Amino acid sequence: MFARSIRIPLARATLRTAPVARFSALSVRFGGHHEAKVSQGPGAAAGTIPTDLDQSTGLERAELLGKMQGKDIFDLAPLEVHVRGTKANPTVINSRDPIRYVGCTGVPGETHEVNWLLIDQTHEFDRCDQCGNVYKWTAYEADENFPGDKGHHH
Amino acid sequence: MQKTIQSHPFHLVEPSPWPLAASLALLTTTLSGVMYFNNYANGGLLLTLGLISTVLSMSLWFRDIIIEGTFQGSHTSKVQQGLTLGFILFVISEVFFFISLFWAFFHSALSPTVELGCMWPPAGIQVMNPWEVPLLNTVLLLSSGATVTLAHHGLIQGNRKFTIYGLIATIILAILFTGFQGFEYINAPFTIADSVYGSTFYFTTGFHGFHVLIGTIFIAVGLYRVINYHFTDFHHVGLEAAIIYWHFVDIVWLLVFIFFYYWGS
Repeated sequence: MFARSIRIPLARATLRTAPVARFSALSVRFGGHHEAKVSQGPGAAAGTIPTDLDQSTGLERAELLGKMQGKDIFDLAPLEVHVRGTKANPTVINSRDPIRYVGCTGVPGETHEVNWLLIDQTHEFDRCDQCGNVYKWTAYEADENFPGDKGHHH
Repeated sequence: MQKTIQSHPFHLVEPSPWPLAASLALLTTTLSGVMYFNNYANGGLLLTLGLISTVLSMSLWFRDIIIEGTFQGSHTSKVQQGLTLGFILFVISEVFFFISLFWAFFHSALSPTVELGCMWPPAGIQVMNPWEVPLLNTVLLLSSGATVTLAHHGLIQGNRKFTIYGLIATIILAILFTGFQGFEYINAPFTIADSVYGSTFYFTTGFHGFHVLIGTIFIAVGLYRVINYHFTDFHHVGLEAAIIYWHFVDIVWLLVFIFFYYWGS
């Protein structure tokens, strides 16, 4: 357990390959996000109070546009596993990154302590060593009509 | 693989020099403040430098936050929730700060010692009449609470005029309050050195006055940002925080008025 708890932060650290080491007061203004197409509303008419739809930008706007389509662009809800994943029929893990962390609590859920697994793109499959459930990394498919996928933010 | 936007709503901040700058500025301010109070050489000069660098690092830090939130869209609804919760926790810590001041006051006022003549106000202290300037200040602050609410509702309902005029009225009332407090201090019949009465009185009213000043600046920044179209009718965490702060200062004044000016005299 101890080895694992060390390994995960290490793996996390190595994952962060983006150049975040810049140390400049100007990075906030000119750094990072500016190569991206910024989704932007028309802004407020002079003399009025803008609404979020008029004026929000960036991730905030993507969230708003998603909500207007009745969707949550953020993938925060826990994955409910109703059918045990097997090698033939694994539990599919959508991911935007080459690996994704999954905290398995067993199938059915809450039957063992949280077991943190690294679901890796390069693995044929990943198996929870507590309950034996099989997970398979799958690329997240971007949808150009979905606000969460439009702006190439990072 | 294709990279899309981040799949979580949280704002992972970039490296920034302002936490370190603010720490050094505050260290300079506290150390040189002690030097100044104890008449060390150049204490006043260093204190001035400390205060300037504190204000500077705060301003640059908040400028970055405004850039991130208003111009880069990093403040999703989850981030707004976090900022609001953080501010409410800050105000709660302020409540406990003022509780300690009231505690010091009640400790001395509820069982006055022999040195005070076993009475409160202490023997020989000439107190202020609460129904003169303090009552006027109560009216001013309560009115400013009403005007700031006018501004808040104006913003939520998309009425720019109400918002701006409401905030201007609030700032005028706040400046009047501070002016009358200054007038009262200048004409007070006792000083901070006049027994525990003077100590607790100026300790509490003085810190309240500082909070009024900070709140005035906070609301003025909100006014500046309304004029510059920073706030939408829904997303205006900065102004909401200023309003929460202002109501807090208002409530503290009511308690100061009731217990220090009325009951304590």
